Formats: sequence, structure tokens, C-alpha cells
Amino acid sequence: MTNLDTKQPRVWRHGVVGVVLVFAALAMSASLSHASSTGLQGTITVSAASSLTDAFKALARDFRQANPKVRVTFNFGSSSALVSQVQAGAPADVFAAADTASVDKLARTGHVNRTRRVFAKNSLMIAVKPANPMGIRSLKDMTRARVVALCAKAVPCGLYAATALQRAAVVLPESSVTRSVDARATIGAVVNGDADAAIVYSTDVKAAGGSVASIVISRDQNVTASYAIASIRRSTNAKVAQAFIDYVMSPAGRSTLVRFGFARP
Amino acid sequence: MAPSTVTSRTPRGLTVVAVLGAVFLLLPLLGIVRRVAWSSLWQQLTSPQVTEALRLSLLASILATLCALILGFPLAWLLARAKVRGRSLLRALVTLPMVMPPVVGGIALLGVYGRTNGLLGSFLYDTFGVQVTFSLTAVVIAETFVALPFLVLAIEGGLRSIDLRYEESAAVMGAGPWQRLTLVTLKLLRPSLIAGVAVAWARALGEFGATITFAGNIEGRTQTTPLAVYMLLESDPEAAYALSLVLVLVCVGVLFALRDQWLGRRS
Repeated sequence: MTNLDTKQPRVWRHGVVGVVLVFAALAMSASLSHASSTGLQGTITVSAASSLTDAFKALARDFRQANPKVRVTFNFGSSSALVSQVQAGAPADVFAAADTASVDKLARTGHVNRTRRVFAKNSLMIAVKPANPMGIRSLKDMTRARVVALCAKAVPCGLYAATALQRAAVVLPESSVTRSVDARATIGAVVNGDADAAIVYSTDVKAAGGSVASIVISRDQNVTASYAIASIRRSTNAKVAQAFIDYVMSPAGRSTLVRFGFARP
Repeated sequence: MAPSTVTSRTPRGLTVVAVLGAVFLLLPLLGIVRRVAWSSLWQQLTSPQVTEALRLSLLASILATLCALILGFPLAWLLARAKVRGRSLLRALVTLPMVMPPVVGGIALLGVYGRTNGLLGSFLYDTFGVQVTFSLTAVVIAETFVALPFLVLAIEGGLRSIDLRYEESAAVMGAGPWQRLTLVTLKLLRPSLIAGVAVAWARALGEFGATITFAGNIEGRTQTTPLAVYMLLESDPEAAYALSLVLVLVCVGVLFALRDQWLGRRS
């Protein structure tokens, strides 16, 4: 019964074989189900800002319905992290950022094609615990919070939050600010963790549903985020990459984005 | 060359793969060293964010190792000596944090100490107004959680290898249980104790997943060195590599200090 039983290795081996078989079966069934229809085909990887997670997943589902032989895989993260990844040679075909600066940065280093397009807009909101126990009504009230979650300083949502706080003339003590890697992780600190408030995109607040309460940031303090998209120059499937971008820009794509709380560009 | 009796028996294929394995382990170290900007190294290591992170890491990892030692020694004793039912189950439980993804550990800790939904955390907050998460306490708890198994297993192994006759003869000479423990067992246990403490400390020092999930990432409060490395990688990659170098050197230092325990154990 001990852990270091000598019979363990054999059990392990059976287990490993089983797991491998399951994966092989899954892989085969996946490849079979894609062998149909006509038109575009192949897999593309879309590196997208974490705040696009839900909207882009829905977009990809619709896109695949029109192009059944296409597979879209995602790499969600902060726009700035994605920039570093693409520069380091990470495989990607489309880059969608929560700002225009990240795309421009990649354009300057020659990693994306220069035709970048703004496809959506977003704004900031304060997310607090349900029923707002701290009574936070504005950016100024956030100084009352014990722990405020913000995006990392170099990440677009972190930069936007800094601008908004500056406009409101609010200085949060660094000792109360926890910095998360991207927008999704930031609101997660309020939803799952014990952060009292977070500054995130209004789309994140919408996606979080009832697990947070939302506080509007006044117009003169708020920031408009412009989301930009471009195809990666070294893409191995430029055709599908461009088709995906066209779909995001299409009326159908835009209405999906609106459904997830984004504003039209 | 090593004695030929051994080398002649090692199949050549194995040696080749072994060399590949060694290279595989060595290359990432070179990868760090190569990227360090040596001319500005000192400047990067003395920036406020970095010194704060190092100070915090040192403090938290030492506290965590102490906690792990206090909780771990009795557990190791039970596992090695006591004849209790369900001992293998207990060992599995102790080993769990070692094999569990640290992020999952962080979520699990949130479920216990979280202010709003935590098993104990909500009680602590409602009754005493104490919030565990996003604090140094949370960092120490997270690090203790992941470091404890290393300590327990090392001490357990040490306890098992001690010849019980030493303690028996001490008992014959009239030593009580506590005297036997402090005068005989702990003395004999010293090598494994030191090894366990060192590995547990290194593990605590490197903790990332559970910390960022459970304790957050507050500069000067919960942003330990690994978290600082991760954040700096985007804003200031050179500083990230400089700080990584420090962590690697610390680990090399730990191994060096333990060379008699591990590297020369065979002799």
C-alpha cells in the first residue's frame, strides 16, 4: 500500500499508454471532422488582447461556420506580452491589440503588415464586489479600498487606468495596488480574490455578469481604447488570416463585438 | 578518465543521450547569462522595485521555511516512526502540494483564507476584521504550502536511516523522550535536516503561481522576486534577466552548500 510500491511502474506504464491512446483517438476524430466542405482551409493562430477573449471566441465560431475547413486557435494575453512574443518569433497569423500603439510597434519592427485597422472601441469602468460594500462611487473613492487591482504598468489597460486616475487627480498608494498580467486577470482579482475594486474595460465587467457590481467613470475622466488588428507578415496562412480580419471588420463581425459590449470604431 | 571498469559497462548510446541531457539542462543557464547586461547589472539590481522584491523574498522565504519546519518535523516523525493507520494516505497528502500545479494551490488557498468565500477567511474577516489575502501573511502561507513537502520528505528519509539502537541505548541510560530527541535524534538527523531546510527554502524563494493567485502582486508588499521577474520581463527585460541571474546564483549556492549531502553521498 505504500507509495513507493515496486509494482507502481507497471501501473504507471498502463496509465501512460491509456492517456496516449485517448489523445490519439481525440486527435483522429478531430482531423476527421474537419475533412469536409470547400474554400479556405488550414489553421491560424490569433494573438489577441485578453479583453477580447469572449468576443473573439464567438467570432471564431461564426467564422468557422462559414469556413468549416478552417481552424482558429487563440493565444490570449496582454497586448504588450503578445508584442514581445511575436517579436521573439512566436507563431501567429493575426494580431489584435487593445490599443493601436502595440500594433504600430510591431509594424515598425516589420512583424505585421502595415494595413492596421481599428475594429472596436472600449472604455473603462470600475468593478467592485457585488452590492458594493465599500460604497465606491468614483475613482476618488478608490483610495478607500484596501486592495485595488490594476493591470500591469506596461499593459494597455494599465496605461489607460493610469491616464484615468491622472485625469481624476487620484493617487493610489502603491502599497494598495496589486498588478495583474492582463485585463482578465485584473477583474479576476475582484471576482475570485479579495481585491475591493479594479479598473478594467466595460466589456470585462459585462462578461463578469453578477459576480461584480460596476461603477461608471465620468466622461471627462474616462479613456477610449481603440482596438487595432493586423496580419502577421510571416504568417504561414496569410489567406485565412486576411479572411479572419475581413470577417472581424464585416457587419456580422461588428454586431458580434457590439453584443459583447464593444463600441463601433 | 573514470575507472575503466565502469565506463566499459556503460552502453555508448546511453552516454550520448546522457550528454544531451546534461546539455539540455545547461543551455537555459547559458541563456540567462548571455542576456545579462553586465555593464548595467549593478544599477538594475539596486533599483527600488528590485531591492524591495529581494528584501520581501528573503523575509517571506525564511518565515515560510520556519513555518514549514515547525509543521513539518512532527509530520515527518509520524510518517517515519509512528505506527498509525492510514500512514500512506498521510504521505500522499503531504506530497500533494509538490505535484499539484502551484496556481491550483493558490486557488485552493483562496478557498480557505479568502475574505469573502473562504472557509476560515470569512470567519477571520467577519469576527476580527483580518484579511489574510494580499498580505505578507498570504505570501508566507503560499510559500509554506509548497515548501512543506520537501522538508517533510527529507526529514522522514533522515529519520528512517537513523539506527534506532542509538536512541534505545540512550533510553537505557535513563534519557527521557525529549532528551533522546534533542541529544541523540536531532544530532544524527542534522545532515538531512540541513538538506531539507535548504531545498524547502529554495522552493519557497522560487514560488510564483500560488503567490500571484493568492497573495496578489503588490510592489513592496507581496511582489516577491519571481513575480518581479515576470513583471519586469515586459517593462524592463534587462532587469528581468539580472534578477533571474540572482535567483540562479542563489540556487547554485544552495547546491554548493549541500554538496556533501547530495553530490558526495555515495562515498
